[in-house]
Amino acid sequence: MENVIELRELTKTYGTRRGLIDLSLDVRQGEVFGYLGPNGAGKSTTIRLLLDLIRPTSGRASVLGLRPREDGVELRRRVGYLAGDFVCDGRQNVRSYLRFLGALRGGVPQARIDELAERLGLDQSTRIKKLSKGNRQKVGLVQAFMHTPELLVLDEPSSGLDPLVQQTFLDMVAEARAGGQTVFMSSHIMSEVEAVADRVGIIRDGRLVALDTVSNLRTGAVRDIEVTFASPVPPTAFAALPGADRLQLDAAGTTLTGQVSGSPDALIKALARHTVTSLRATEPALEELFHSYYAGAEAAPRTETARAV
Amino acid sequence: MSAAILTKYLSDSRRSLTGWAVGTAVVGMVYASTYPSQRENTANLPEALRDGLNIDQTAAGYLHASVFGVILPLLAMIYGVTAGTRAVAAEEEAGRLDLLLAHPVTRTQVAVERFGALVAGAFGIAFLVWLGLLVIRNGAELTSVTPVEFLAQCLNLALLAVFFGALALGLGAAVGSRTVVLVTCAVIGVVSYTVHTFAGQLGADWLAHVSPLHYYIGGEPLRHGFQWADVLVLLVTSGLFFGLGVRRFNQRDINS
Repeated sequence: MENVIELRELTKTYGTRRGLIDLSLDVRQGEVFGYLGPNGAGKSTTIRLLLDLIRPTSGRASVLGLRPREDGVELRRRVGYLAGDFVCDGRQNVRSYLRFLGALRGGVPQARIDELAERLGLDQSTRIKKLSKGNRQKVGLVQAFMHTPELLVLDEPSSGLDPLVQQTFLDMVAEARAGGQTVFMSSHIMSEVEAVADRVGIIRDGRLVALDTVSNLRTGAVRDIEVTFASPVPPTAFAALPGADRLQLDAAGTTLTGQVSGSPDALIKALARHTVTSLRATEPALEELFHSYYAGAEAAPRTETARAV
Repeated sequence: MSAAILTKYLSDSRRSLTGWAVGTAVVGMVYASTYPSQRENTANLPEALRDGLNIDQTAAGYLHASVFGVILPLLAMIYGVTAGTRAVAAEEEAGRLDLLLAHPVTRTQVAVERFGALVAGAFGIAFLVWLGLLVIRNGAELTSVTPVEFLAQCLNLALLAVFFGALALGLGAAVGSRTVVLVTCAVIGVVSYTVHTFAGQLGADWLAHVSPLHYYIGGEPLRHGFQWADVLVLLVTSGLFFGLGVRRFNQRDINS
């Protein structure tokens, strides 16, 4: 399988602040790749490096087999990009604005623009200036999708969209994949990525901390469990299990509560030695997993100077 | 290379540009048409005093000292700095440059097309000023200055705007900060004016040569017509500012 995006030891520093550290990542042809991380983790930095808006401090990136710096024009011709804080300006209406952006790409069929705008419920006769945040985001989506690029790079694509439009957007992403397009989308919301992505990369403080398929990640995710027993069990009954510190047996010794991450096999086998009257286990939530990667991200020092203090 | 960026830029700024051009032309016309009364006011002064105050009673002298000496170059400089700042630095700070540069265009292309729009605006303003002065030329008794001489001075006016436009755009392209551009251009503008005006009195005539205003009006186009050497100096320095700015623009990161 061909890689549409290849990042090798990509590092970007802003003065003393670290943007990205040794990021290596492949995005394969035809997949939807979810790029997750809290605000300031380096998602937008990665994306802006791909489009040659900024240059890496070290390491290299290749997009569609092209180098961002040297082959920028050709690369951007084949990519559709939606910025994290999509801003557009001007007195003209949406229709002529989109026509202008299309002209920069050598023209885009009006029918295609109309189709996308209609689907998203975007009124093309509105002036750009008067658009609400959500409608402006729709303009951003239309301009990213309109030329049916080989690669879609979407930074926080569904921010500001209402749930209905968000669903339409997810449909558009799924259709893009069906049509052979590759999608690289960043988000800080797990659920929207979970819904469409084939693979997910989680980034924190400029480092890739997890990279896997959605289903594999789910296996590693955390379940809440609650087990009740017919008769009290010894307090040490589950002490030997991996991850036992996250399980608590109540004082009576009849109820076990806590969390299990990964495979519940060891726990099930331990439980089997006792008479279980009820068992409740939640669906593994990726949200939880995601939060465990997030934890401490806000507090973590990100600058050299901060570390020295 | 399509001119979509240039066209869009001109059409986006057509209102402010038209307003500025008409305003500049009207100011020029109003000021220039006070020539007859000014001449009368100063005619009664003793000649020694007139000489002392540098009052030249000819039409060219009056226009040189007032209309083309103070107000029009000031307006042209403001236009140049404003348009030049907006072209890259202000757009970048507003986050609007990302979208444009994510399209299949080069940074050089964006800078060139926007500079093109700026230059077109500068020439539009100067052309309107020229037309305005031709309209009042007879009524305001300015016939001693020929239309060609007016045109020569208006060409320099356009080039002065282009000079400050190139300075602001080039600096903005190099650093991407509106504040830096505005402060630097304001300082350079004030220093240029001061040096141009007081170099003679300071007994340092050579100093005047560092001021763009010297090349704008020092050759007295209203008396002597086109001053091609001065034109060349303004063109070359403008090109230099623009070129250096774009060079740096191509090397640096775009601020988000």
